[in-house]
Amino acid sequence: MRRIAAQARKELTQIVRDWRTMALALALPVFLLVLMSNALSLTVNELPIVVQDFDGSTASNDFIDAFRASITLHVVSWPVDKTAEAALASNAARAVLIIPFHFGRDMARGINAPVQFMVDASDANTAKLVSAYASQITSAYAQQVGGAQAAPILTAIRLWFNPGLSSTKFFAPGIFVLAISMFPPLLAALAMAKEGEQKTILQVYVSSISAHEFLLGKIIAFMAVALAECLVMSLLLFTSFGLSFAGDPTPALIATVLYVFCVAAFGTMIGAIIPNQAAAMQAVAFGGFLLVYLFTGLIFPIENIPAGLRWISDLVWGRYYIEIVRDALLQGGGWAAMWFKVLIIGVIGAIFYTSAWLGMRRMQVKA
Amino acid sequence: MRKLLDSLFSYRLRALLKKEFSETRHDRKLMFSMTVMPVVQLTLIGFALSAAVTNVPLAIVDDSRSPESRELVATLTESKSFRLAGYYSSVDQLGDAVSRGKADAGMVVPYDYARNLARDRQTTIQFLLNATNANTATISRGYAESVIQRFNTGLRNQGIHIRIQPNAGSDFARRGQVQLQPAFLYNPGLVDSWFIVTGVLGLLLILDSSLICSAAMVREREAGTLEQLLMSPASSSEIIVAKIMPLFLLLFLMMLGSIGVLKLAFRVPFHGNIFLLLMGGALCILSGISIGTVIATFSKSAQQAQLLCFFVNPPLSALSGALNPVEAMPKWLQPFTVLNPIHHFATIARGATLKGSGAMELWPSFLGLLLITLALGSLSVWRFRKQLS
Repeated sequence: MRRIAAQARKELTQIVRDWRTMALALALPVFLLVLMSNALSLTVNELPIVVQDFDGSTASNDFIDAFRASITLHVVSWPVDKTAEAALASNAARAVLIIPFHFGRDMARGINAPVQFMVDASDANTAKLVSAYASQITSAYAQQVGGAQAAPILTAIRLWFNPGLSSTKFFAPGIFVLAISMFPPLLAALAMAKEGEQKTILQVYVSSISAHEFLLGKIIAFMAVALAECLVMSLLLFTSFGLSFAGDPTPALIATVLYVFCVAAFGTMIGAIIPNQAAAMQAVAFGGFLLVYLFTGLIFPIENIPAGLRWISDLVWGRYYIEIVRDALLQGGGWAAMWFKVLIIGVIGAIFYTSAWLGMRRMQVKA
Repeated sequence: MRKLLDSLFSYRLRALLKKEFSETRHDRKLMFSMTVMPVVQLTLIGFALSAAVTNVPLAIVDDSRSPESRELVATLTESKSFRLAGYYSSVDQLGDAVSRGKADAGMVVPYDYARNLARDRQTTIQFLLNATNANTATISRGYAESVIQRFNTGLRNQGIHIRIQPNAGSDFARRGQVQLQPAFLYNPGLVDSWFIVTGVLGLLLILDSSLICSAAMVREREAGTLEQLLMSPASSSEIIVAKIMPLFLLLFLMMLGSIGVLKLAFRVPFHGNIFLLLMGGALCILSGISIGTVIATFSKSAQQAQLLCFFVNPPLSALSGALNPVEAMPKWLQPFTVLNPIHHFATIARGATLKGSGAMELWPSFLGLLLITLALGSLSVWRFRKQLS
C-alpha cells in the first residue's frame, strides 16, 4: 500500500512540474468543454433568407412579416435585379421565399396560392430544419388569417427532458465525456511510454515494487487527474450550463469512478504495449478521440451509423459512459435503466488493466 | 527562361530537394499515414456521422382501440421516420419507456378518438418527444406534424368535416390558402453525407498537413542536424522551401485520393470546376503546412509539437463549419470562422462540387485562404530567423 502511494505521488509530481502537461490536464478540458459544446450545435438561429415579393400586396406583406417575426430565420435584403439562385450560390442566404404575382388577389378570391421556398440543400440537415420551420410559420399564418380548415386531429406535442431544445444541454455532457476519454489516457500513455523509452522501467524491475503495485500507483495518479478534471468540468456544467441531476445521481457517480479507472488503465495499457511516446500518443488519439467522437452518439445518434459499422460502438467504452451521464443529467432513468452500462464499464476497465499488466510483463522480457 | 529556372531552382535548392525527397520516401510510417489513413478516416467519418433522422422508435398508448386509431398508428409507423417500439397500456408506462431510452417518441390516442371523429368533433392526440437531442427532436417533430397533416387531409377527403371552426373569421370561406412548395436545390435527395464529407476533406487536409509538417520540421532539430543545414551555403528560405516541397506533393496526392473517395464511395456530384477545387485544396494544404511550421517553431521535440497540435486542432475543427452549419454557433463565435482555413476550404469544396459555383462566387474564400497562408507563412519565417540568430 505504501509503495502504491509513493508511486502515485511520483507521477503527480512529474505532472505538476511541466506546465505543458498541467495545461493539457486541467486547462484544455475546460476550454474544450466551453468551446465545443457551444460550437457543435446543429440547430440554427438567424439563418439568412431572402424574400422575393413579385406581388407587393398587403397580403404578401403580411405573409413576409410572419417570416420576419421568426427568430430562426433572418430576412436579409437582396437586390431585385439578381436572381434568387445567385443568393444561394454566393452563400448570401440559405433559402429564398418567392411570392408570385397575383398572390394577394388569389388569396382574396379563395384560390389556393402557391409560394415557392427554395432551400440550399447542400447541408441536408439544415435544409430539413429550415423547411420544417417554414411550414410551421405558414400553417400558423394560415390559422391566423382563417384560410385553414379546422383539422380533425390536433397534435399536442410535448418535448420532454429538454423543453427549450437547447443544444448545449445535449452536447455539454458529451464533450465532458470526450475530454475525460482523451486527456487522462494521453497523459498516462505518455508517462508509461516514457518509462519504456528511457529504460527507467529497468529501475522499477530491480526495485522491490511489484507489477500490480506499480500499475495501480500509476493508474491511481491518473485517476486523480481525471477526477480533478471531472470536478472542474462538472462545476462548469452545473453553473454556467445550467444542468443538474435529473434523478438518482448514484449510478453516474459510481460510473464516474469506474470510468476514470477505465481510461487511466487504457492509457497505461497503450503506454505499456507501445513504448514510444509519439506512437503511443497517436494510438490514444485514435482510441480516446476518434472512436469516442464517432461511435458514441456524441453528435449524431448511434442508430444512424450503418449496420456494418455499428457494432464498433458496442466496444467503445465512452458510449456507455455518455449514456449514463446524459441519463443522469437529462432523463433521470436511474439504476433500473443504467445498471448494465455501469457493469460494462467496469468489465472493460478490468480488461484494460489485465492487458496493461500483460504488456508490462512483455516489456520486461524485451528490456 | 533557363536562367530564370536556374535562379528559381538553384543547384543548392535541387540538392536539398533531393535530400528531402529521399528522406520522405524512405519514411514508411509517414507514407502509410499519408495514403491509407486519410482514406480510412474519410470513409469512417462519412458513414458514421450522419444527421439523418430515420426510424425513431415510437411507443404508443392506444386508449381508443379502434380501427380508426390503428389506422393513425399505421400511417405513422409505416413512414420511414418512425418505427413501432411497442404498445403500452398507460401513459406512465410510456413515460417510463421513454426515460429508459426504449423509445424516443410516444403517442397517446385518447379513448374518445374514434367517437369524436365519427361525430365530426375535433380530437387532440398527445405526442411526446425525447428532446435531449435538440436536432433530432426538431426534425422528428416536423415529421410527426407533416404525417398528421397529410392524415388530416385524407380524413377531410373521406368526408369528415369539423363543424366547430375555432378561428373562423367572418370571411374565412372565401380566403385561399398559402401552399408552401419547398424546393431543395443542389441536393434534392437530401443526402446527409455530402455535407459531412466535403467538410471533413478540409478538416483532414489541415489536421494531417499541420501534424506531419510540424513533425518533419522538428526532426532536424531533434537529431541535431539543423546546425549542419544552417552551416551549408543554402539560405533559410531555401531550406524551408526544400522541406515543404515533398510534403506538399505528398499531401496533394492524398487530396486526390480523398477526392476519389468522395466521388466513388459517397457519389458526391461534381457540378463545378474541378480545377477550382484543386486550387483551393492546394492553398488549404499550404495553410496547413504553415500552421505546422508555426507549431514547430514553438517546440523543441516531436512530442512537444504533437502536444501543441492538441491545443490548436480542436478549436480549429470545432469552429470550422465542417460538420455543422456556422449559423448554429453562438453569435460571438461566428466571426472567428473567417480566420479558419478549414471554413474557407469547406465553402470552396461545397461550392465547386455540390453547388457548381464559379470563381465569381468563391473568390472571397480563396482570398481568405491566401491571406491566412501568407500571414502564417511570414510568421513562421520570422520566428525561424529569430531562432537562428
